[in-house]
Amino acid sequence: MIWEVFRQNQEGDYHTHCGNVHAPDRDMALMFAEIQHARRKPTNSLWVVPKEEIGEVDTEDAAFGGTTDKSYRWAQTYSFEAAAEEVAASESEQVEAERRRTPADGGDD
Amino acid sequence: MAAAEPLSGPDDLSDDEREAVEHLLYRLADDEFVVAERYTEWQVRAPTLESDLALANIAQDELGHARLWYDLLEDFGFDETDLVWERDSGQWRQSTLTELPFGEGDWADVAVRSYLYDVAEELRLDALADSSYARIRDRVGKIQSEEDYHREHAENWLDRLCEDEESRERVQDALDRLLPHALTIFAPTDEAVEDRIDELGLRTRSLVDMREEWLDTVVPYLESLGLSVDEVELPEQYDTHHENLEMPDEVGRDQSHTEAWDDLWSEFTNSYRELGRSEASTIMADPDDVE
Repeated sequence: MIWEVFRQNQEGDYHTHCGNVHAPDRDMALMFAEIQHARRKPTNSLWVVPKEEIGEVDTEDAAFGGTTDKSYRWAQTYSFEAAAEEVAASESEQVEAERRRTPADGGDD
Repeated sequence: MAAAEPLSGPDDLSDDEREAVEHLLYRLADDEFVVAERYTEWQVRAPTLESDLALANIAQDELGHARLWYDLLEDFGFDETDLVWERDSGQWRQSTLTELPFGEGDWADVAVRSYLYDVAEELRLDALADSSYARIRDRVGKIQSEEDYHREHAENWLDRLCEDEESRERVQDALDRLLPHALTIFAPTDEAVEDRIDELGLRTRSLVDMREEWLDTVVPYLESLGLSVDEVELPEQYDTHHENLEMPDEVGRDQSHTEAWDDLWSEFTNSYRELGRSEASTIMADPDDVE
């Protein structure tokens, strides 16, 4: 049985997927994960999750974020004055994310 | 046992005190070193990648503990070559449990051996936590914090191996073979010196006392898994004091060893001899210089 392993570096951080272990049950999975995935990395906590319990939806099944123009979601769409620095930074991140999500038509890369 | 007077540092011990400290340290260091040597034989041969890594990691822990104890023997002027690479095989004091070879592919042996060993290890570390010799006392905590995993690992395997009749029989075979050797963990190196270790408060529990608690811990647990200790030469009332438990002819502690020991010793000292070495390379900081 395969258990997916999630490691948290320090308290308050998200648990991030870091690999898996083969084990017959949860206790053994935790025991193995402790060595296999945490012996050399800073670790505050580990989760193990049965692989079969994980639900998945991917790009074959879904158009994540939709396919039409959603720029009304951006904070500055409604702004007519110069934005605060933080808002501008946040928006440029969103613009970048949007660019990556929908590759330009006819691009040569 | 009444608290003994604190002992002085390594440079100011009387000959008798020093002999007692040395015997105690050889018991500890040699056990850890040799059991780790055996564990590493499973590297790349354990049943799964996960079990391979777990056991290799335990072996690394035990080698680290051996290093801490050998380092205290270095206080008396020995160096690593004297203690490990050039020490005659007949001078070692590990329990015979640690030196026996594993049967080929016998994973049950790993589970049984490490369980018997790690329960004993826990008891003897507890008995060193208030040692009258500060150099020993100060290193106990660091070792104890790595030992929980070892025992948990062994028990997890035993619990599961004993769920199935066929594999439980293999565990039973390993137990029958190993239990008498495990008793040598509590054998004296030399009666007089062991008494002195107790009198000086180097250790706060006697070997017999620890052996009884060990039996009171391991026997009920093993029986709860459907295993039997009847086949093993133990007295009927194992939970009372016994001076004459059946032990193998070679007990290790008194420097008598099984045949397998000479082979193992030749193997791990082979490269040192073949390469004509006369000193050991140092790649790690002295334990005293590390927090």
